[in-house]
Amino acid sequence: MPKKDDKTERLYRLAMRYSKFYGGKIAVMPNVPVRSLDDFSIWYTPGVAAVSRAIEKDHNLSFELTSRWNTIAIVSDGTRVLGLGNVGPEAAMPVMEGKAMIFKYLGGVNAVPLTVNVHDQQGIFNTVSSLEPAFGGFNLEDIESPKCFYLLDSLRKSVKVPVWHDDQQGTAGATLAGLLSSIRLTGRKASQTKIVFLGTGAANVATARILAVAGFDQGNIIMVDSKGILNPERDDMDELMLHNPWKYDLAIKTNSERMKGGLEDALKGADVLVAASGPGPDKFPKEYIKGMNKDAITFMLANPVPEIWPWEAKDMGARIVATGRSDFPNQVNNSIIFPALFRGALDCGASAITDEMIVAASSEIARYAYENGMSEEHIIPTMKEWEVYPNVAAAVARKAVGQRIAKRSMSAKKFHDNAKRIIEGSRMMLSALIKSRLIKMPPQ
Amino acid sequence: MAGIDNRIKFRDAREGDVEALAELVARLKRLNEEFDSMLKVRDDIKDVSRSYISSAVKDKNCIVLVAENDGKVVGLLKADIRERRFSQPMTEGRIIEFYIMPEYRKHGGGTEMLHHAIDRMKRIGVKIVSAEFPSQNKISVEFYAKQGFRPITNIHAKLI
Repeated sequence: MPKKDDKTERLYRLAMRYSKFYGGKIAVMPNVPVRSLDDFSIWYTPGVAAVSRAIEKDHNLSFELTSRWNTIAIVSDGTRVLGLGNVGPEAAMPVMEGKAMIFKYLGGVNAVPLTVNVHDQQGIFNTVSSLEPAFGGFNLEDIESPKCFYLLDSLRKSVKVPVWHDDQQGTAGATLAGLLSSIRLTGRKASQTKIVFLGTGAANVATARILAVAGFDQGNIIMVDSKGILNPERDDMDELMLHNPWKYDLAIKTNSERMKGGLEDALKGADVLVAASGPGPDKFPKEYIKGMNKDAITFMLANPVPEIWPWEAKDMGARIVATGRSDFPNQVNNSIIFPALFRGALDCGASAITDEMIVAASSEIARYAYENGMSEEHIIPTMKEWEVYPNVAAAVARKAVGQRIAKRSMSAKKFHDNAKRIIEGSRMMLSALIKSRLIKMPPQ
Repeated sequence: MAGIDNRIKFRDAREGDVEALAELVARLKRLNEEFDSMLKVRDDIKDVSRSYISSAVKDKNCIVLVAENDGKVVGLLKADIRERRFSQPMTEGRIIEFYIMPEYRKHGGGTEMLHHAIDRMKRIGVKIVSAEFPSQNKISVEFYAKQGFRPITNIHAKLI
């Protein structure tokens, strides 16, 4: 464990106190007026029977006549929670509740945290599949690798609503957004940019996969892990084929020069470093960055401490540095992606979240950054620039319509206005509850 | 992706291939280990593989085929030619080692190499071809089934 600073200690104390005070971060709220108890005969029996009968005839109506259109489940088995590791489903709950709160506040999405006591991949697959009738989508969260790859791929194929694994796709989408801005700032072409990944966990594997869809050449990617540069002649290839076919696949598709060696060799002549390898500082000798091309781009994404401190990376010649932290410039943060992406997918009734939809989200974020004062210190918008969310939702929904996987089609403007109305509504509802003191201010 | 992989060529192994082939045998044995703990490899796997393949290359009762790309050995197939004592047809070619480097898989290279080996065996009078591999290796089970093979003998084991 890295040494905790005072600020973190203070946040730990507050989180404990507030969690006890509020007894959790989310609640289920009626969405309809109850003028008198007579209304129950509309919302519940006998009136509700008509709604049931209609849905029995046409299951698609469950997306119109119930809250399914805007409700997703956040599913976790608690095997890889934050930097804490395998803490189990009960201990994963506060994290999933927090995620549900962010979904609602930034995306207007009703997200239900479901931490499950099932750990084998087939068991989780069956659990999620059986929940499909109740939800408009699934966000898989904090599930260990490579199980998470199997689950995402298999559920994407079998379930008819969007399935998302935030640790893979959210991080990949946010990283891609930052990369698109960075190459624009440094005058590079995606197809010619040489990218080194340090670490081959869920996030980097997913990012390397999505880059191919975004116009980058996978042959120009070099992946490095604790055993060195990934290449198809490595001794562990057969083990990977059986236990991590996703990484195995990348070993063959990336590194077209078939380079061998370590991180230092990989970085010579590279344009970009995306490190997601474990907390720093000094995770590797910072001098390696000197071997990179001019105007190097480095993403040091480990939390809580980046692999190399940003100022040190800059001293070594990096022009753009991003981290996972909000107290440094250029935070690569999933929260900029997942609320808006689900907003868009739910609004158009998408049957999946495709890689192309993720690329559409990332491109829209990069475009928004460009039009709103993009600089080396500001390659991606922050959560405060919330106007970006409806824009991203609209871009995602339009992409789904173009790919013919959407139930509803509207113009980009209408998707945007609709998303904006829902997200604004969600924020206004919370502030109304705070104003009326139904949600109290935290204790001093 | 099915089809013929143009990159690779096949030929009989030569003494000069021994180092490269020993490496492939060791890789294959480590792959087998992944399927069953009773196939755990010895610590001196490289040395054993070297002497094993070195004598196989010289043995008249062995066929050792090499897959090559641009002068580099990227695959190996070794079969033993045996006479069956109680069954007919009598001359059997038993594939014992079959390994192709990862990036040459799934492009039809394996199928092509098997066909080469079968042609080679036919020319010396082999009438039945068989293959040995770990029972848990589902990839091999599927591969041979697709090529028209079926299970004929099971070998069961336990540690005592």
